[in-house]
Amino acid sequence: MTRLRAEGLSLGYDDKNIVSNLDVTVLDGKVTAIVGANACGKSTLLRGLARLLAPRSGAVYLDGKALTDLSTLDVAKVLGLLPQTPIAPDGITVADLVARGRYPHQGWFRRWTERDHTAVAGALEATGTADLVDRPIRELSGGQRQRVWVAMALAQDTDLLLLDEPTTYLDINHQVELLRLLCKLNAEAGKTIVIVMHDLNLACRFCDHVIAMCEGSIVAEGAPTDVITAELVEKVFGLSCMIVPDPVAGTPMIVPA
Amino acid sequence: MTVLAPPAARTLTVTRRRRSVRAAVVTVALAVAVAALFVVTMMVGSFRLSAWEVIASVLHLEDNPSVDFVVRGLRLPTAASGLTVGLALGASGTIFQQLLRNPLASPDFVGISSGAGLAAVGGIVLLNLGGLAISGLALGGAILAATLMYVLAWRDGVTGYRFILIGIGVAVFFDGLIGYVLTRAQLSQARQAMHWLAGSVGQASDTELKVLTAALIVLLPLAVLLQRPLRALELGDDTARALGTRTELSRAGLLATGVVLVALAVSVAGPIVFVALIAGPIANRLLGPATGGILPAALVGAVLLLTADLVAVHLMPTPLPTGVVTGAVGAPYLLWLLATTNRQGAGG
Repeated sequence: MTRLRAEGLSLGYDDKNIVSNLDVTVLDGKVTAIVGANACGKSTLLRGLARLLAPRSGAVYLDGKALTDLSTLDVAKVLGLLPQTPIAPDGITVADLVARGRYPHQGWFRRWTERDHTAVAGALEATGTADLVDRPIRELSGGQRQRVWVAMALAQDTDLLLLDEPTTYLDINHQVELLRLLCKLNAEAGKTIVIVMHDLNLACRFCDHVIAMCEGSIVAEGAPTDVITAELVEKVFGLSCMIVPDPVAGTPMIVPA
Repeated sequence: MTVLAPPAARTLTVTRRRRSVRAAVVTVALAVAVAALFVVTMMVGSFRLSAWEVIASVLHLEDNPSVDFVVRGLRLPTAASGLTVGLALGASGTIFQQLLRNPLASPDFVGISSGAGLAAVGGIVLLNLGGLAISGLALGGAILAATLMYVLAWRDGVTGYRFILIGIGVAVFFDGLIGYVLTRAQLSQARQAMHWLAGSVGQASDTELKVLTAALIVLLPLAVLLQRPLRALELGDDTARALGTRTELSRAGLLATGVVLVALAVSVAGPIVFVALIAGPIANRLLGPATGGILPAALVGAVLLLTADLVAVHLMPTPLPTGVVTGAVGAPYLLWLLATTNRQGAGG
């Protein structure tokens, strides 16, 4: 059983087709990484899966129903997304921002409820941002800020969470910290997580499943140990390399040749 | 469940409670200030009245022909115009600023007031009109300018930065045309046009006021309701959509509300500058950053405009149009805003 999948999906902007005729199945309860060179269409695919971009052809199905037939609000209760460069209003505090993740669960007239409160407090706790509640976002470090954005997506309380390059602007320590957090959420809360990322080594280390993309198509898909080969890296990134087992976890590690 | 809430839940409770108390206190205080200024506006003048006399006359509690003549006949229209125009400008300004995510994006900068001005001046000078017709033209001009900008800025949706730049361009274009029309005017018409352009709460007619009041009764609660999608839109379109907002529909609704409010305000009182620009930021200062309450901003707008009118009419050696006073206060703020936003790199 899979909750989110795409069939024959083509996506694009203006007159340009970015990805065409993709079949994607997002494995429930797993952490999936979408990897590929710059401009290979991985963020576009993620936007398509999250209903931010309407399909040119084909469809994305959530729980068996086409995404375009569902209301935005219903999608938002099941599927969360953290964009690549989210915008924080000037001066907004952590508490305020994370609370805005509750949007799909609140009505036009419904006030803040106990459930909202528990969800936001839980999200702050899980991301280790509870001490920052009164702080304005702009005063935080990059790593803290990214954790706050994840907290907002968590407060949305969705079973599926898609993240567009959440680690790109972080230093190595914070990249690992964020990925550990996402794995923890996957292990403890059973969330299905899809991450678009650049760092293949980290993807292999922390993700259960890898989707490798090249020029708008999927070239390989599966567990990192099964699919990451020197040929694939050469094909996707144009980098000749050796694959050695990660000395700590045994997962594939890419070493440029 | 555990008896003791986890620390995050407790901190959050404290933070949220502090914020809602602050919001309630500020809103009530602003409402009281608006009510007080509204009454004071009708007390002062060559014929001084007590607060009670004013209130009794406005609410029809007592009948006293001479007081009623001064209050209901002469001063109430000006006071009501200051109140309603202030509310409309404050609400409209903060909607624009939050929607376009830029403190400079007030309707008087992005060409809407200029559109109203061009239509009104054209009516005065070329068609020799006056009174209600001018207000109607101003309303039409404002809506036309807003539509024009929306169409020009549309490219797969409307983004803040492009809308502002196009708005400034449209404003400059209209201001140029206003200048041209004025050069073609007779002296008396030019005087009338210049007076209209300065903006004054004293020039409102009865019908215009009724229209604006009715619009406020409908649009202000609507704006407060639309605050919900606005809070999501502030986070950028992708996040807003991921949170379940219908972004284009919400944005169109918010823009329409903001445009109608500012268009009606301009048609009643002329383009009174800076109130829409500074009401939102002042409300945010009072409420805490990024709170963006539309109602508090509207109340701040009313406080500003009623105060400016009191200063313009009663504290100056000769009575001035209200817009002159708001301009004198607003211009330094604008300079400060330009200097500081650029330093923070948030100007774009």
